Amino acid sequence: MDRRAFVKACGSVATLSFLSSTFLTKTLKAQTNEFKKYKKAILLNKDGNPIKPEEIEVGKQYLFFYPYRSTPAFLLNLGKEVKPVEVKLSDGSSYLWPGGVGPQKSIVAFCAICQHQLSYPTPEYSFINYYPPDKPSKSVKRGNVIQCCAHMSVFDPEKGGIVLDGPAEYPLLTIVLSYEEGKLYAVGTLGVEKFSDFFDAYRSDLKKMYRSFRKAKKKVDKSVVMRVEEYVNEVVYC
Amino acid sequence: MKSFTVDRRNLLFAGGLGLLGVYVSRGFVFGEPKGNRVVILGGGYGGVTAAKYIKKLYPDAQVILVEKKPMFVSCPLSNLYLVGLVPYEELCYPYNNLVVKYGVEFVNDEVLAIEPEKREVVLGGGRLKYDYLIVSLGIEYDYEENPALKEVYWSYPPAFQPGSEHLYLKRMLEGFEGESILISVPKMPFRCPPAPYERAALILSYARREGLKVHLYFVDENEEPPVMSKGFLKAYEDFYKGQATYLTSTKILEVDPVRKVAKTTRGNIKFSMANFIPPMRAPKLLERAGLLRKGEKWVSVNPMTFETSLKNVFVIGDSAFTYLPKTGYAAHSEGKVVAKVIASRLRKKPWEGELVQQAVCYAMVNLKQAIMINVEYRYNLQTKEIKKEIYEDDTWKVSTAKRYIEWARGLWRDMFT
Repeated sequence: MDRRAFVKACGSVATLSFLSSTFLTKTLKAQTNEFKKYKKAILLNKDGNPIKPEEIEVGKQYLFFYPYRSTPAFLLNLGKEVKPVEVKLSDGSSYLWPGGVGPQKSIVAFCAICQHQLSYPTPEYSFINYYPPDKPSKSVKRGNVIQCCAHMSVFDPEKGGIVLDGPAEYPLLTIVLSYEEGKLYAVGTLGVEKFSDFFDAYRSDLKKMYRSFRKAKKKVDKSVVMRVEEYVNEVVYC
Repeated sequence: MKSFTVDRRNLLFAGGLGLLGVYVSRGFVFGEPKGNRVVILGGGYGGVTAAKYIKKLYPDAQVILVEKKPMFVSCPLSNLYLVGLVPYEELCYPYNNLVVKYGVEFVNDEVLAIEPEKREVVLGGGRLKYDYLIVSLGIEYDYEENPALKEVYWSYPPAFQPGSEHLYLKRMLEGFEGESILISVPKMPFRCPPAPYERAALILSYARREGLKVHLYFVDENEEPPVMSKGFLKAYEDFYKGQATYLTSTKILEVDPVRKVAKTTRGNIKFSMANFIPPMRAPKLLERAGLLRKGEKWVSVNPMTFETSLKNVFVIGDSAFTYLPKTGYAAHSEGKVVAKVIASRLRKKPWEGELVQQAVCYAMVNLKQAIMINVEYRYNLQTKEIKKEIYEDDTWKVSTAKRYIEWARGLWRDMFT
């Protein structure tokens, strides 16, 4: 994608996304081939009501499960408008990351499974976490990043989850959100998916946790948003 | 487990010859290579990773992985197994996913020789031709360097090669009732530089938990721990003062396994249990193959591609002499690099290699807490220099120990999923 096409695409996506989330998904699919549509899932608060953008505090990390009931995703409010960017992959291909949603276009979501070796938040531990600007990672001395402490991969949530440091080869998988009439929805994924490897690697763990592997792979149409600390017993920072 | 590509006619023919008592070589079963055959010697961290990623990057490659053990057993985390922190089965993985999911062909056999002029390897069961060869055979104990330690191998297994040595050492440790332990460390370089220092700390911590009265004689040919030295030395001081004697720049000269006395360059030490870690080297068969010159212990490789002086012959992992440490993590990274190099050559789109490499390493300092180091290596193509950026967390933590376990599990997920 050359610069002119990219700028044009950003403008089109930004303008028309206001009008229709369906357009957003269609545009992403047409432009990148990386967008994968899943069941549209409404994001709920703990009371079971649609979560409002103002309930998502800046600098905190939230989790919800999407597109499967066992695959966690981070939901972050970065506190400022997050603009669309072109995300380049190591094979030379690229895709347009749509940026933030919500009234301030500040809300983003990424799959919380590390693209390197699949570490993910479990009820016991979370080795992969978001570090807000005022609580930077000690090891890379940088805030506003998502870092996995197992092998030290660092991702940029403001730039489509690109790899800033460490061994991960791909950006974090984006969970594409739409904001419609004050409600937040997850509509699909954008980027390199590793769900198949995830299900292979954790088959027995997931079977134990969800009582059947089939149930763990069930796709969701609604998902409760919670603080990471509410779901995980020990959040491990580095 | 054996997995061969063989058509029905050849299979029947080979079976018939076998019945007649005629020797059927692997070369016969696999036939002539067609330009896409990659033979990988060694199913450890480097070999498994290379096998999987070559098939992922170039599915039309014929990848044959040769390994003498029927199952993968990890050396990383094996110190934790010795003191009961992880079960043995956690270290073991079958090779079946490589065959079933990725189409790698697995040959459960021993490598006897490499004949580069014929582009062949000699296995216990026959000959095998290659177009590309990856050697990932790890280390061999070097008893020429210190013959004194050869005599005590059977009594005191070094446990630096995965598998039975660890089982034996753990059994010895479980039967141990106290008094003195001797652990000896060879001069660098050797496999997994922090491992002896972690083992010393873990054994002392284990002895304390078991209520054993123990004094450790830690005989090290090096001047200090070669990695994470600050963290290890502080931990020894804080946790084990008075419980251990750390003798640096000291070498084992002789061992009497009957009287249990070791003669060192700084006097005799009487021990009730010991773990003599011998010097190490790349396997000698690489010398016979011409990959090692006489007197050399490690194979020189191109630091970007891990290719040797022989075209399309690569050496990765502990056998190679590179800027990376001799660790499972490094072998794993090197396996990925070589996979990219070979896949790109097979696609006729040569790729020069990786400019940035990283090594992450953890070590326990007691039964609950660990320290860690992360080193990023940047290779400068112009100056041929390596720039290192080191981040070391020498404040031991329980959470770092948990990261350590996750670090290893991540590697296994990447290799076997």
